[in-house]
Amino acid sequence: MTTQEVRLCGLLLQEHYGEVVEKVGTHLLRNGALMLRAIAHETSTPLDLVKKSLCVLIQHGLCGFRSGRRGVEYHLNGERILRVLRYPRYIYTAKTLYGDAGELIVEEVLQRGHMTMSHAVRTVADRLTHNMEEGCSMDYSEVVSAFSRLVETHFLQRCPSIAEPSATPVDAVPPVPVAVPTLAENHPDRYTLPQISLKGRGKRRLSSEENEGDERAGKRARLDEDHSESSGDEGIYWQVNFDRFHQHFRDQAIVSAVAGKMDQTSSEIVRTMLRMSEVTTTPSAAYTQPLSANEIFRALPPSYSISRPVLEQYLSLLVDDPVRLLLLLDCGSDLHKALANLARATLESVVQERFGSRSARIFRLLLRKRHLEQKQVEDFAMIPAKEAKEMLYALLSANLVQLQEIPKTPDHAPSRTFYLYTVNPLPTARMLLQHCYKAVANLIERRLHETKENKRLLEKSQRIEAILASLQASGAEPAQLTEVEEMITAPERQQLEALRHHVNKLDSSENQVDETVFLLESYINSTMNTR
Amino acid sequence: MAEVKVKQESTVDIENRIKELCQQFPHGITDQVIQNDMPHVEAQQRAMAINRLLSVVSLRIWSRDIRYKSNLPLTEINKILKNLESKKLIKAVKSVAASKKKVYMLYNLQPDRSVTGGAWYSDQDFESEFVEVLNQQCFKFLQSKAEAARDSKQSPMVQRNSSFATSHEVWKYICELGISKVELSMEDIETILNTLIYDGKVEMTIIVAKEGTVGSVDGQMKLYRGVNPIIQPTGLVRTPCGLCPVFDDCHEGGEISPSNCVYMAEWLDF
Repeated sequence: MTTQEVRLCGLLLQEHYGEVVEKVGTHLLRNGALMLRAIAHETSTPLDLVKKSLCVLIQHGLCGFRSGRRGVEYHLNGERILRVLRYPRYIYTAKTLYGDAGELIVEEVLQRGHMTMSHAVRTVADRLTHNMEEGCSMDYSEVVSAFSRLVETHFLQRCPSIAEPSATPVDAVPPVPVAVPTLAENHPDRYTLPQISLKGRGKRRLSSEENEGDERAGKRARLDEDHSESSGDEGIYWQVNFDRFHQHFRDQAIVSAVAGKMDQTSSEIVRTMLRMSEVTTTPSAAYTQPLSANEIFRALPPSYSISRPVLEQYLSLLVDDPVRLLLLLDCGSDLHKALANLARATLESVVQERFGSRSARIFRLLLRKRHLEQKQVEDFAMIPAKEAKEMLYALLSANLVQLQEIPKTPDHAPSRTFYLYTVNPLPTARMLLQHCYKAVANLIERRLHETKENKRLLEKSQRIEAILASLQASGAEPAQLTEVEEMITAPERQQLEALRHHVNKLDSSENQVDETVFLLESYINSTMNTR
Repeated sequence: MAEVKVKQESTVDIENRIKELCQQFPHGITDQVIQNDMPHVEAQQRAMAINRLLSVVSLRIWSRDIRYKSNLPLTEINKILKNLESKKLIKAVKSVAASKKKVYMLYNLQPDRSVTGGAWYSDQDFESEFVEVLNQQCFKFLQSKAEAARDSKQSPMVQRNSSFATSHEVWKYICELGISKVELSMEDIETILNTLIYDGKVEMTIIVAKEGTVGSVDGQMKLYRGVNPIIQPTGLVRTPCGLCPVFDDCHEGGEISPSNCVYMAEWLDF
């Protein structure tokens, strides 16, 4: 893991799970796999705290364990930690696809790491009931149907269960009497729903309970669980299938690229094609399943009633398009090419915004023609020699463009060597990816800094809100309420407003940079897989 | 004695005489005729003069080349050339590639494209505004064609085909606009269209065309069509960090850090 990635992981761990987890986590990231005692000793944290933080990390699937030479070693999965940044996008996707129930299910599973189905259904039903009007409550069956739809389309999957311990040789060292549990890799029934009997409706939490803190509500919930009958799915835990979400994001990116380039109908056709091959394609496949025009015609949504010959025309247009998203051979859609095109467009847009449209012209020229001399660059791009030289040197010093020397003589004399400019997409994409990580880390730090600076103000406003709420609940006069409200002066109110605006802006830009991160990561992964 | 006298005679006169003779007899003259005309000139000098005149490449020649080819001393060469220039028989043209190099050619001929740089150069200056104007005009033409095709709401194949324009059509349009004082050829227009391709605004396909159709070159035609970009500006460049000039110097606790970043402060208040 690079420095930037470690820094970003540290910030994410701290924000979501606390400082102790962050300390343990960054230490593991920097030093690879370590044993329990080593972690405790090197980070100088008490052993039970280390155990608890490891539990948290394992619960969320961030940490793995295996039996090493001298005992059990724990290692942290850095990439998985970076996914935490993308949680809002997953939740939003679930909302658009499966409505509020789906959104809350995914949110709950993401928050807890692993959950049983019954537990998830109950919690979500309670939450939905809470948001509905008085007198209505959410039926369990609706939530169950949302859950099963999520499982059918592979967005949720079962956590791997403990495999049968194979006969391990008895260690000479006694501290490992029990074989370290290993998780079963290939899971035949990963997506089968358990048979559970779950009847009932969501319970509404009374508003009086809210003000009394969490302990009573927690106790009450636990009592409820004990009292209800066991639902028959103990031990079957569910987690979010990130690869499936990534596949969905990738399809979305391709569809919107087609919509931008051509028109809405073509993008609908592409979306239908990708959806049909959703469940049959593995995440790292380079090509989707081949589909016939008949199948596509039948699978089109009824709102787009286009006739068969028109469909054929659209398909042939998509094939002829130079951006080349489809290959109507036996190969189906060429996903790798599509990702490469999207990554290339990302690189071009970065150069354009940073250096100007003429430098972007030079960059695209070099991407197309691979290797060019200085003179040829000037001629093709129709830019005066002096300016072209400056732009090329600026791009070179930012490492977006590389120089290739081809000597004519063995002694590499500069006057007798060819100097060719070239662009390598893969290393450039990697470099931009590191930039993105650093940019996200910067944004998070700025956000923390802003909140820390205005901590006093935030606390004051929170106190005043609490006072207001309690006064309202106990039925106070309007005069008292306005008096309390005036405790916050106008400039303070403005400052609070500005702070809220800043924090929102920083949050949303983190998500935007994460989109770039996703495109670049998918491109790099698919290129490494096809190598 | 005769030799000394011969040397003193300017080679300029020999060349001039030969040229006059050539003009007198447009069908060409033989060496005999020259000899008859200038009996006092030695054969060698005659030959040298003729050779020099004939061996120019593309009808222009560099002063150093003249020296190599005729083996005359530098001062004499310069005198001769100045003489010829004042008599308005030859002229010096500055080359675009190396502006210090002077290239000589006959007065009435036009300099070659590779010396002056073609239509984009006027007096050795690259005309970038002219290129920009042409760029925008071509792009507007292609874009309006594409929009007209999209609004026609016909079947998609017809739509796409009607949004294409051949390079010949674009050339005609630019000529009719009359914004260029220099005569532009189809290759010039194609280089402009290529720059639009490198801007990502236009795409090109080549189709096979029958020989004899207007605008076809070697049995194929180039078609151009305006396109939209495939993605919006990416997320990274919407943050100040994506465009920051001191990005590499920024880290927490340093002079430049996210907490005290000026660019971020400005951007947040926007």
